[in-house]
Amino acid sequence: MKIRAFFAILLCRLLRLLSRLLHRGGTAMPGRWALKVCPDLLEILAKDLKILAVTGTNGKTTSARMIEEAFSRQGLSYVANRSGANLASGLVTELVMNASLTGKARKEYAILECDEAAARTVFGRIKPRVIVVTNLFRDQLDRYGEVTHTLENIRAGIQGAPEALLCLNADCSLTASLALDLPNPVRWFGVEQGAVPSRPLPEISDATHCIRCKTAYEYDYVSYGHLGGFRCPKCGYKRHRADVAVTAVPEQRLDGSSIVLELEGQKHLVEVNLPAMYNIYNAAGAVAAVTAMGLPMQAAIDALGSFHCGFGRMEQFQLGKAGTKMMLVKNPAGCNQVIEFLQNVKEDFVLAVCLNDRDADGKDISWIWDADFEGLEALSGRLKQVVVSGDRAQDMRVRIKYAGIPDEKIRVERDYTRLVDWAAEQTVPVFLMPTYTAMLELRQTVVHKVGGREFWEN
Amino acid sequence: MELKICHMYPDVLNLYGDRGNVKCLQQRLRWRGIDSTVERLPIGAQARLGDFDLVFIGGGQDFEQQVLLEDLHRGKDREIRAAIEDGIPFLTICGGYQMLGHYYETYDGQRCDFIGALDLYTVGSKQRMIGNYKFQCGPESGGSLVVGFENHSGKTRLGSGVQPLGQVLAGFGNNGEDGTEGARYRNVFGTYSHGPLLPKNPALCDFILLTALQRKYGAAELSPLDDTAELAAHDEMAERI
Repeated sequence: MKIRAFFAILLCRLLRLLSRLLHRGGTAMPGRWALKVCPDLLEILAKDLKILAVTGTNGKTTSARMIEEAFSRQGLSYVANRSGANLASGLVTELVMNASLTGKARKEYAILECDEAAARTVFGRIKPRVIVVTNLFRDQLDRYGEVTHTLENIRAGIQGAPEALLCLNADCSLTASLALDLPNPVRWFGVEQGAVPSRPLPEISDATHCIRCKTAYEYDYVSYGHLGGFRCPKCGYKRHRADVAVTAVPEQRLDGSSIVLELEGQKHLVEVNLPAMYNIYNAAGAVAAVTAMGLPMQAAIDALGSFHCGFGRMEQFQLGKAGTKMMLVKNPAGCNQVIEFLQNVKEDFVLAVCLNDRDADGKDISWIWDADFEGLEALSGRLKQVVVSGDRAQDMRVRIKYAGIPDEKIRVERDYTRLVDWAAEQTVPVFLMPTYTAMLELRQTVVHKVGGREFWEN
Repeated sequence: MELKICHMYPDVLNLYGDRGNVKCLQQRLRWRGIDSTVERLPIGAQARLGDFDLVFIGGGQDFEQQVLLEDLHRGKDREIRAAIEDGIPFLTICGGYQMLGHYYETYDGQRCDFIGALDLYTVGSKQRMIGNYKFQCGPESGGSLVVGFENHSGKTRLGSGVQPLGQVLAGFGNNGEDGTEGARYRNVFGTYSHGPLLPKNPALCDFILLTALQRKYGAAELSPLDDTAELAAHDEMAERI
C-alpha cells in the first residue's frame, strides 16, 4: 500500500508541475489521477493533520479565508485549499503539495473548504476536529437537488466523523437540524434579535416548514433569507442560543462592518473587513471555528479586521477612475445580499452582470428569477448603466428588463476584454457580478489589465 | 381594464424561478397601461378562486408535498375544479401541473391522489428528465415555438379529455416518449417548462393574457410591445438546442 501511495504522490506532483508549466491551475486534476492510483490517499494524507473543515452552500471560501488569517497571525503551520478546488481531488492535490513523498504531512493544521455534496464521503476520510456548516440555501438545484438533499449529504458526512466539534449556524433552521440526531458536540453561532433591524421573510424562503414536523415556522426576527429566530409552534424545534453571538452591528459600510460579538459572557467590538450581512455571519462562524480549535479570541478578532478574501468575493481592483468591485454570485440568497449591498451605494455607479450556465455554475439559470433584482429598480437614479455578459447574457438582459430597468439602459457585451475596457473608462464606481465560471475568466482579464494574482496564487 | 391574478402556494411552490411568470404577466400588462393585482394564496389561506381572472401555480420540492396535499384536500381541490370548469385561465408548471391530474404514482408503486381536474396522470421514473428543451404549441395555444428548462422525473400521460400544449422538438416533454408536452383543457395551460416559461416566450404570455382579458371583457386586444430583448433570448436558446 505504501508503495502505491508513493507512486500516487509522485504522479500528483508531476501532473501539478506540468500544469504550472502550461500556465494552468492544476488544482484538482493531479489529485484525481492520484486517487485512481491510490484510492485511500486522502486518508493517508489527512492522518497526521489537525483538520478544520468548512462546508455549507454559501460563504465557504470567505469563512475559510478568515479562519486561515487567524492561523497565519498565530504563526501556525497550515495547509489550505485556497484555490476553491473543494472536492476530494482538490483536497488531495493540496495535501500532496504539502506532504513528503511518503505522504507525511509537512504542516500541523489543515483548513479545508469542502463541497457540500462531497462532504458525504470526504468527512469520514479526513476526520476533521472541527466542522463549520455556514448555512444552507437553495443552490444549483439541477446539480445538487433540493436543499434537503444537500443537508442529508452533510449529515451523512458528519456521521463519518462523530468526534468532530460542529460549528453550526443557529439561525438557519436547516443547518441547525444537524444537531437533532448527531452525537457531535456543537458550538453555535448566530445573530441575536435586535442586532440588526428585523425584516419580513423574503417572498421566497428556502425553509418555510419545520424540518421535523412540517408545520409552518414562526419567526421572532429575520436577519436575511430564512435566517433568524425561527421556532415551530407544533413540535417545539427552535433556534438554539448562540455561543458566539452577534449582539449589535453599530456600523455597516461599503468596505466592512463593525459588529459586537459576545463569547463566554465577554463582549468584543470587532471590525469585519468585508461588507454585507452574509459576511457578518461568516465572521461569527469563523470566530466559532478558530476558538474551537483552541486559538485565542484575539487572534480571530485581529484576523477579521485584516484579512483579504480576494478571488472575486467583494474583491476591489484599481480599474476605472473610481475602482471596480467584483462580487461573485451563484444562488439567490447570495445574489440578494449583493443587491442589498448595492442599496448602500450612495453615489452614481455602473453594474455588469455576467451569467454563465456551465457545469460549475449550474446549467439551469432560472435562479436569477428567484433573486430580487427588483431591488435595482429603486436604484435606477444612481445606476447609470447595466452591462450583461456571459453565455446567458440575453437571459440576464430580460431579467433586468422585467425588474424594471429600461432596455435602453442595458448593454450586451460578451467579450470580456471589451467589458474590462468599458470598466476602465468609467469615472463612477464599477460593480461586477459574475457567476462562478464567469468570475474565473473575467477576473483573469481584469488581472491581466491591472495586475493581481492568478487564482491559484491567491 | 384590470386582471386579478392569483398566485397559488407561492410559499411552497416556488422553485426554479417560476414566480418570474407572474412578474412577466404583470409587466406586460403594465407596459400596456392595463392594471393588475396579484394575490398570494399560501397554504392555509382562504380565497374564492372564482373571483380571479387568472390563476398561477408553480413547481415545488418533494419536501413540502404532504403539507400541500393536505391543504388541497381540505376543499381547495373542489374550488380549483370548479374554477377550471368555469373557464378561468390557469397557468401551471411542473408540480403545479401534475397536481391537477388524477394521481402521481411513485417509482415503487405508491399512489398519491391528486385533484383530478385534468384527465392526466403521472408515474415516477428513475430517469431524471433535465435540460433546456423546446416545443411547438398547437394552434389552440397560439402556435408559438417555446423554449424552456425542464427538470422532472415524473412521466405524465394524457387522457382523451385533454390536448397537449405542444409537440416536443428537442428534450423530453411530458414523458420523453410520445412527443407531447404539457396539457390544454378549457383555459388551463399546463407545462413542465421552468426557465421561467413566460419571459422568454412573449407570444405565449400574450396569448394567455388575451385569453384572460377576452373571458372577462368579451373582446380585447393587446397592443404590440418591443420584444427585442425577449426574442433575442428566445432565439438564441432555440438555436442552441
